[in-house]
Order: sequence, then structure tokens, then C-alpha cells
Amino acid sequence: MTEPPMIHTVPPPPPPDGRMPASNRFVGVLNVLGVYILVAALFAIGPLVSPAKFLTELNLLSALQSVALMGIVAMGVAFITYSRHYVDLSIPGIMAISGVVAVWALKFGFAASMLAGLAAGAAVGVVNGLVVGYLRLNPIIWTLAVASVLSGLIRWVYSGQQLYPDERTSAGWEFLNLYNCQILGKPLLPAIVLVVAAVAAHLLMHHTAYGASLKLTGSNYEAARLSGIPVRRVVGLTFVISSVTSAAAGILLTSFNKVGAEYVGKGYDFMAVTAVVLGGMTLAGGRGNVIGVLGGVIAIALMTNVMSLMRIPPLHIGPWAFGEITIGTFWQNIIQGAIFILVVGINSLSLRKAGRDDS
Amino acid sequence: MADIEDDIGIALRMKGVSKRFPGTLAVDGVDFAVRAGEVHALIGENGAGKSTLMKVLAGAFDDYTGGVSLNNKPVLLHSPAAAKAAGIQMIHQELSLAGPVSIAENVLAGRLPRKGPLLDRRRLLAECRHHLARVGLDLDPVTAVEEISLHEAQLVEIAKALANMPCILVMDEPTSSLGREEVARLFEIIRRLRGQGLAVVYISHHLPEVLQIADRVTVLRDGRKVATEDIASVTSARLVEMMVGRNVATLYTQRRGRPGAVRLAVRGLSRWGFFHDVSFSAASGEIVGLGGLSGAGRSELARSLCGIDPLDAGRIELDGRAVRPRNYRAAIAAGLAYLTEDRKAQGLALRLTMGENMLSAIIPRLCRLGLFSQRRGEPAMAGLIRSLDISPPQPRRMASALSGGNQQKVLLGKWLTTHPKVLILDEPTRGVDVGAKVTIHRAIAELADAGTCVILISGDLPELVGLSDRILIMRGGHLIGQLPRGHATESTVLLAANGEGRLEPA
Repeated sequence: MTEPPMIHTVPPPPPPDGRMPASNRFVGVLNVLGVYILVAALFAIGPLVSPAKFLTELNLLSALQSVALMGIVAMGVAFITYSRHYVDLSIPGIMAISGVVAVWALKFGFAASMLAGLAAGAAVGVVNGLVVGYLRLNPIIWTLAVASVLSGLIRWVYSGQQLYPDERTSAGWEFLNLYNCQILGKPLLPAIVLVVAAVAAHLLMHHTAYGASLKLTGSNYEAARLSGIPVRRVVGLTFVISSVTSAAAGILLTSFNKVGAEYVGKGYDFMAVTAVVLGGMTLAGGRGNVIGVLGGVIAIALMTNVMSLMRIPPLHIGPWAFGEITIGTFWQNIIQGAIFILVVGINSLSLRKAGRDDS
Repeated sequence: MADIEDDIGIALRMKGVSKRFPGTLAVDGVDFAVRAGEVHALIGENGAGKSTLMKVLAGAFDDYTGGVSLNNKPVLLHSPAAAKAAGIQMIHQELSLAGPVSIAENVLAGRLPRKGPLLDRRRLLAECRHHLARVGLDLDPVTAVEEISLHEAQLVEIAKALANMPCILVMDEPTSSLGREEVARLFEIIRRLRGQGLAVVYISHHLPEVLQIADRVTVLRDGRKVATEDIASVTSARLVEMMVGRNVATLYTQRRGRPGAVRLAVRGLSRWGFFHDVSFSAASGEIVGLGGLSGAGRSELARSLCGIDPLDAGRIELDGRAVRPRNYRAAIAAGLAYLTEDRKAQGLALRLTMGENMLSAIIPRLCRLGLFSQRRGEPAMAGLIRSLDISPPQPRRMASALSGGNQQKVLLGKWLTTHPKVLILDEPTRGVDVGAKVTIHRAIAELADAGTCVILISGDLPELVGLSDRILIMRGGHLIGQLPRGHATESTVLLAANGEGRLEPA
């Protein structure tokens, strides 16, 4: 008998004990730290771009003002992202409907108007929460549909017209001055609401049973369910939380625009989720924290500000002459989209490398 | 012994094949040979190494050691593509068919006939009909797979495997979802394929089927080969003896405690389609084993008992009081706990820390004035880390960075934090190393000694027999009886699970 030739392979070295480095925490810390490094870098770049303007109180205040509303929205969206349900695309609709309803309810007084606006937004959030949390519909598809329905609904109810607050009533006057109301002699209300929302979000996400349940649910839905966590309620509530912050931002934005309309809040969903992921909260759920998200908001504020201050002086190259180049909103949109893709790409690449893509 | 020494007519020969996982040698120097035109059964208990050995054959690992030759030509099976190219086809318990797609496109997936850039539809249908005929199916090839019955789909799966012209066909529990008549039909087809010279490896837990269809049988135990025998020279009892083999009584320490008052009593529990009219009781301080083949309804019973899945009928009493948990949360509060069988998908959140996982079942209990603090659970956790000997003992370490054995200890610890009255364990030591297994067994025994009622579901027969005070046997969704401690051996449990042998009423 002849022995058939066998291919013998070299035995692999035995794997060392605890083969995976505990790098998750490291990645998380790096993400959160990373965004503040970015913030610091932007502070360093700012004066170089515009030595005269950047570090003035007026400029930094306006930078803060410009992102305060987006930041308020981001604080709510963070809960949805944390639960691994990505984002609520009906946010523009929620912002619009809260604004419209608040303007409509002004005839019952200012306080009633605020409550009605928040309630209208929250009602949409409850529906989203029931459908996505309990019926388990895909959050992207469902909220996309809701956004379309809300936009149509507002236009239908008001026959395509816009809704103006009546300046002559005291409630109307108060509403119109809400956004710019003076606190310590400055229009700080949106920034204060942002800080309050951030503190509340931080406490809720990191220091309550709800937050701990949410973290487990976002990390492994099935394991959370089989730990006795009411996962459907936990997920459903994230949409309610997000709708309330969106409603607050929607009312403020309506006050700023001085008009309630279907288009108010356009683009806020994407801006908010960009801040969330830039702040180290990955779309894979259960990672990151509110402090990081706040960093993401500040970073976007500074980035937008620096870009708007940037002036590329006129150039003459041979026969061609270029006028002064500024970075307008078109470019800012493109750059924001690119940042989102970059951050999400880096996140998923690094997770895939660490073999954590699936877990 | 019926090992083959010559090489004439050998379709597959594996020689000295080993595969190591972190902490265990899953397959240890196995020699395995299959002739062309033979049905060769591969049997063994759970964890004996059957599926790992077959995964080597399927090209799932690029780091196995030893040699494999097909038709006396050595091959290197380092990728699934290499295994397929070498002529190895697998049929798993779970079907690999795409539901909404036509039978024809499923059967010929990956090599659809073409005419230029377009699909050659006529040839596709003709070829498919030819392959379906080989398995005795007369279906319209354009029908979507989701529209045919499960056993038809199983045969389509076989047709798909055969369409790749394999020289080796591996079938893993192919009858698990089939009725008696369908099994007979499948066996007819297998015999016909055997007559055409195909080498078939047949993996099954059902010994009567093995005796009926196989020509030879190879028994694995603990990753090693016990023997290869001609089927004519063995009986069910002999096969069970070879599968069980060792004397493990010494591994399991004698328990000190005695069962106390009845803690859990269930009457007429049913979930239609999963288990029917199940009644039994279990005492405090007692370890009640739940034995049976996979698919007998044991895990389903446990899940419904805990309110995870619905219950259609029946009554549950805990300490003499009727309970009917609305959901799992309520069941945990009432004192029930269920350790899931799949720790990666259902048990732990691997991307969170060991500590977060361990305290995840008692989040509501770690709150004061609405504020949650993990620190409140740390003393209890430190005690469990010590008593379960979890290493490294660092609660901040990622769960994914722990070995399988330590992950399983964390999962057990997670349920111990709830101080359950009744703890249901589903495969508490699957895929863990011997050291962790001993620790977990000791912890389970201590828990029962301290008065907890433990219900143990395990396909690991030495574990089931060694730990349980008595063993309830389930078969096909029914509780068919029980084996008291003195009468429960691995052989009697295995025979009972296969519907043979005598049982006491439960």
C-alpha cells in the first residue's frame, strides 16, 4: 500500500489568553476626545483665517446662536442613534408642525401656545415611538413617510399659506421676540435651552435606569430583551424624547423666522445626526455619550463660522483672474455631507478592523 | 473495526485532522474515510466534534492540521470555495434557499446558463428539471421557493447540492423537519444516489435512522474518533455505549442538600406547535434535568414559562401561588430566570463591559431616587467574580475580550444577581473549556444546596446525568416521562430521547 501524499499544514501558534485587546473603551474615548481636539484646532485656525473678527464676542456668540437650535435637536436625536435606530427623518416635519401649532394657539395666550406646540411635536413622537418601537417598522422608512405626511398636512390645513403671528396681541408680540429675548443683555435663550437640554440628556442617558437599559438595548437588542428590559418601550421613548427637543427647536426657529410654515426645520435632521456621529456616537448603537455630542455641535458651529469668515483673495494667474472666493452655504452643505461620510466611514472601518462590526 | 486500509474506491480520506479553538482542541487527530457509493454515518454527542470536522471539510477553517485527500488526490481546504471546487457539498439543517426566487434560479445559483449577455431561460428550466428529477421531484421550476412545502424545499436543497456534481455529499440532520413518509422518500433518494456512486456523510442524532440508512458508522467523542463499524455489527445500545463511553461519575461531586417543598408546579402547559400539555413539579433545592433531542420543545417550554414567548394554555404555580407573567420583566420580579443557550446573540452584549453585562438584569434595583448607579451593584458583583473565578477579574474589561468560558460565567453571574427562586439553565456550558465547566457545575450544585430550584436543559449528557436529581424527558413537544437519579444514565437518557426504553410517569 502506498501512502497518498498528504498536505500537512503548519499548526498555528496557540492564541494568547484574552486575545482581543480591550480596545472598545479606547475607541470610545478617542472618539469623544477626538471631537474636542477638533474643537481646539478650530479655535487655533480661526484667528489665522480672520485675525480681526474670529475671537470677538460678537462672532463667537453668533457662532453659538447659529447652532443652538441644531444642538437642541441633536440632544434628542442622540437617544435614537444610541438605541441603534439611526435618526428620525420626520424632525423637519415635527419642527414645522410645532411652530405652526404654536402660532395658531397664540389666541389662547403665550403659555398655551408653547404647550400646544410642544404637545403637537410630542404627539408625532408618540406615533413614531409606537410604530418603530412596538410594531418594529424600519425607522428610516417610517419617519421618511411621516415627514412627507406632515409637510402635506400643514400645507393642506392652511391651504398652502403661511401663518403669521399677530404682532398686535401681547402673546403674538412675546412669541415674535422669543428667539431674540434679552437675557443678561444678550439674546441667549436658544443657547440656554441647549445647555438645559444637554444637562438633561446627560443625566437621562448616563445616570438613570432608562439610560442603562437604553445602552444595553442599543448594544444588543436581543440580549436586552432576554434580560427583562422592556425593549419596545425603551426604543419607543427615544422617538418621544427626540420629538420634544425637535418641537422646542421648532418653536424657537418659528419665532426667529417670524412665520409658521411647512419648510421650517428643513435640513435639521441631517445636521443633527452629523453632530451626533461627529461627537463619537456611532450608528452601531450603544456607544458614545452626551458630552461628545455637545462637542460635535460646537465643532460644527466653529467649522461653519470659520468657513463663513474664510476669504480667498483675488488671484491673477496668467491671463485668468479669479474674484474673491467665499465659502457660501452651498459649499458648507457639501463639506458637511463630506464630514458625515468621513466620520461614519472611519467609524465602521475601525470597528470592522477590530472585528466588532457584528456584535 | 471496519477501518479501510487500502485506497481502492475511497472518495474521501481525512488523516490525523485536528482543529484547535481558543482553550479547546475541538477535533483531535481524527482519521475518517468514506468510500464512493457508501452512506457513512457520523455520530456523537453535542460537542463531540462532528460539526467541527465537517466544517473542516467545508473549508470553514484555514488553520486545521492534518491531511485531506479526495479520490486519492491531496487537497487543501482553506476556503469554502476550495471545498466546493473539490466537489464537497453540504446540506445543513437550515436551508440555504432564497424564498422569493424561483426554484430554477436557486438550484443553478452561481452558474446560470447564458446566451451571450442574457439568461438562457430554456436551458435553465431544462437543466433544473433534470436535477429535480434526480431527487424525485416534479415541480414547475419557475415556482418561487416560498410557495412550496418545507419537505419539498429540503429536496430542492439536495437537488441544488447535486447540481454542483459533488463527489462527497454531507447531510447534517436532514430529517429534522420531515415526517415519517417524507423520511422514507428521502432515504429512497439517498439509496439511489449511493447506487450512482456518490459518497454520503450522514450526520444524525436519531439512531434508528442511522441504523436504517447507513452502511458504516463512525463515532466521535470529545473530539477523538472512538471507532468505525459496519452497521450490521452494531445496535442502538452499542452505539450509545460508544458515544458515552467514559465513566464521569467522579467528575460530579455528591450534593449535600435534600430537595425541600415544591417550588414550581406547572399543569397542562401548551404552546401550540411547540409543546403540548406539559405538567411537572420541581422542589426547592432540586436540580431537575430536562432531556430530549434538539427540537423536542425544551427551550420553547422554558421561554414560555418565563413569559418571553406566549403560552396558549396551562397554569404555573410558584411556591403554591398561581403566577402568569405578562412579560419577562414580571417573571424576573416573580423569581424566575432563564439563562439563554446562545450567549453571543441572546445572552451578553459583547461590546459592553463585563460589569455592565453582569448587572444588566437588575438595572431597576440599582436605582435610588430615580438615579442609576452601577456602583451599587459592585459589592455583589465582586463576590460573584470571586466565587465564579472569572478571570481576569476586571469588571471594566470588554465582555468580548473574555474567553468563552469566562463569558459563560458572566452570563451565569448575571442571573445570580437576581436571586431567582427558579433558575432555568439552557446549555450552561456549551463551548466552554473543562476548567470553566467544573466551576459552573460547582456553582449550580451550590445554588441548589442553598435552596434554589434549578431546571437544567442540556444536550451534554454527562452533565445532565451528573448534575440532575431526576431527568424529565421530552420528545416531539410532549413530556413523556422521567428518569429518577438511580435509573438515569447517559444510555437510558439517550434511548428515552429516541423513544425507546422505559420511563416513570412525571
